[in-house]
Amino acid sequence: MSTADDGDVFPGVPDVGKADLDAMVEDERPDPREELADVEADTDLGVAMAEDAKRVSRGEITGDEYWEKYDEAAADEFGEAYQETPNPAVDAGDQTVSTETAESLSCAVGSMDTVSTESAQVEGEESGGGIGAGDEKWGMVIDLQKCVGCDSCTVACKSENRTPPGVSYNVVMEEEHGEFPNVTRTNVPRPCMQCDNPPCVQVCPVSATYKMDDGVVNIDYDRCIGCRYCNIACPYGARYFDFGENYDDEVDGAGEVTSPEYGVDRGPREEGESPIGNIRKCNFCTHRLERGEEPACVETCIGDARNMGDLDNPESEVAKMADSSRAFQLKEDEGTDPNVYYLK
Amino acid sequence: MAWYAFVSVLVAVGAYATYLRITGGMASTNLTSIVPWGAWVAFYIYFVGLSAGAFLVSTMANVFEVEGMHRIDRDALFAAIISMAVALLFVWIDLGRMDRMYFPFFWRQLTSALSWEVHAYVAYIGILVTELYFSMRIDLARVADRTSGLKERFYATLALGRLDTSEASQAFDQRWLKRAGVVGIPLAIFMVHGGTGVLFAVSKARPYWNSGLFPVIFVISALLSGTALVMLIYVLRTRLFDGEAVNPDLLDRLAQLLIGFIVVDAALTAIETFIAIASLHPHEIETWNVIMYGPMSWSFWWFMVGFSWVFPMVLLSKRSWRRTPGVMVIAGLSVVIGIIAVRFNIVVPAQIMPVMEGLPHGSYFPTLVEWGTSIGMIGVGLLLYTLGAETLPLTPLSGGDHE
Repeated sequence: MSTADDGDVFPGVPDVGKADLDAMVEDERPDPREELADVEADTDLGVAMAEDAKRVSRGEITGDEYWEKYDEAAADEFGEAYQETPNPAVDAGDQTVSTETAESLSCAVGSMDTVSTESAQVEGEESGGGIGAGDEKWGMVIDLQKCVGCDSCTVACKSENRTPPGVSYNVVMEEEHGEFPNVTRTNVPRPCMQCDNPPCVQVCPVSATYKMDDGVVNIDYDRCIGCRYCNIACPYGARYFDFGENYDDEVDGAGEVTSPEYGVDRGPREEGESPIGNIRKCNFCTHRLERGEEPACVETCIGDARNMGDLDNPESEVAKMADSSRAFQLKEDEGTDPNVYYLK
Repeated sequence: MAWYAFVSVLVAVGAYATYLRITGGMASTNLTSIVPWGAWVAFYIYFVGLSAGAFLVSTMANVFEVEGMHRIDRDALFAAIISMAVALLFVWIDLGRMDRMYFPFFWRQLTSALSWEVHAYVAYIGILVTELYFSMRIDLARVADRTSGLKERFYATLALGRLDTSEASQAFDQRWLKRAGVVGIPLAIFMVHGGTGVLFAVSKARPYWNSGLFPVIFVISALLSGTALVMLIYVLRTRLFDGEAVNPDLLDRLAQLLIGFIVVDAALTAIETFIAIASLHPHEIETWNVIMYGPMSWSFWWFMVGFSWVFPMVLLSKRSWRRTPGVMVIAGLSVVIGIIAVRFNIVVPAQIMPVMEGLPHGSYFPTLVEWGTSIGMIGVGLLLYTLGAETLPLTPLSGGDHE
């Protein structure tokens, strides 16, 4: 393979063939016996299981045969740790062994999902108070001088929150003023304002939408009846009704994964299940804030026009910007007192 | 029989449309996040208005004891109950999550007009049923006395076992009827229909609704449509069910009432329009532009101005016409249909202009599913009314007034 003449060699690309590459990989590959010697577990058992696992993946033996062969040995070797851990081959959605085998195994039979949800909950409890209970008062400052109107915030928001057709937590309002050649163009990105006096919260007949301690206006999808009164009351047009449409024509399995909004993973999007039939809106990517990340729109902004931070902390950048003489809020005379500020 | 066949067709159409609504979800409507409220909301406030109006007409008989009105007391009350039931059907089908319809009784919001309204509607239906009971109880007892077997037990149950037909018992009923009416009047005016107006008027984001006069006009147009409905029912039922002659004095009285309400409704609407336009608030002016000259302006000029004000006013102008049942049926029908356009012109135009410059404009016309379900729910109302009119003694057996 490395016989190519000089004409086929591209500048900057090393002239190596498959055999050379394989040799390099073999060089790098650790010796299984040496590696396993470092751990307490039985080296022979580990090597044998690894070899057979390769056979399973090549299709030479089945998963059932594999686990029937090693279940007892693994239980002897690892004891309680083995018995209490769910077997990755046993999973409600994507099970690779037959039910009979699964039941005969001495390890815990449960899906890996259950373990991950449990550990996630434990983490949540440690941070205290649940979602939205942070000490910060989240605010956003958008510098209109830096906004070029590229709409990447809108796109980032759609992919982060996996919003369906007709629902767009963020839009960029593009206005053109004047007549050619004296034209100015203003781009005003519009997320939810997370108002301090939110008219939407005021009108909800079942208190399904409310201010969280961190200033974000929440929607409880399990309580919202879908009357759309908040939709009517919002002076910023920031609320959207989920009509249950999907991007099925555009993307295969569009509804398979949903965003864990407000820290709740609702699994695949299903007809008749919330948030379908509910009102939806921007929540400053609460699920990202909770794990210490900025909202998707802030992170993606190409001109660094969007800033996220704690308005209660006078030393924070957003608090300083929101205090500047360039700062204003949308529809200030409505008395809603938004937590989204703009810089002229 | 032809009537039942007609009503059955309406209900069947509605049943199929409702099936499409439930399987297709809210996507079966032409509603969007820009125009989230449409035909169902318009019909909901329409029927709340009909109910409040019909109820207030009934109080003229049982609270204010206007001479000669007792004849239509129960008709008006029963129509008010049915209208309210239909209104709630419209609210129900409009919910994104129909399965959560009872949630407002579990969780509340003190600042939400809608939260208060839901409770007011329930209290109001309670008052209406109580009133109808006290108004009709003595005749239920009389009918029970005349019949036997299952029928007797049916009417006796409706009378809650109070089968006394003495004058003392009647006086008791009338006392309580009046008391319920006295509670019901402020409930109907300020909470049920005024409150429904408030529900819209508090939306500061929609300047077209955001006025103090708005809930008042709501109540006046309710009185207008309610009076027209009662007049319509009175003539049709007297003619078709009872085969009796219509009392021209009573008809004239209802007709004059109708004139009064048309004048007040049109005048207040004109004031509201003038204030809106004089404010020079761009949102207000553009919304009125949409109403008067937009693609749906026909509904304003033909139905709202024409059918609910001008045309009936012409028919009501002559004394001899006011005493002619046929002409008054047309006048009543004209108003009852015209007020539907009034309700649509309340709900939809406020959502056409975007709440902020740069957001998209709205546009809305109901889908066949929305029309079909609406027709079906109206059909259910007609069916219930007809069944009630056939089984219940809605026409006082003693004929005339309170003795």
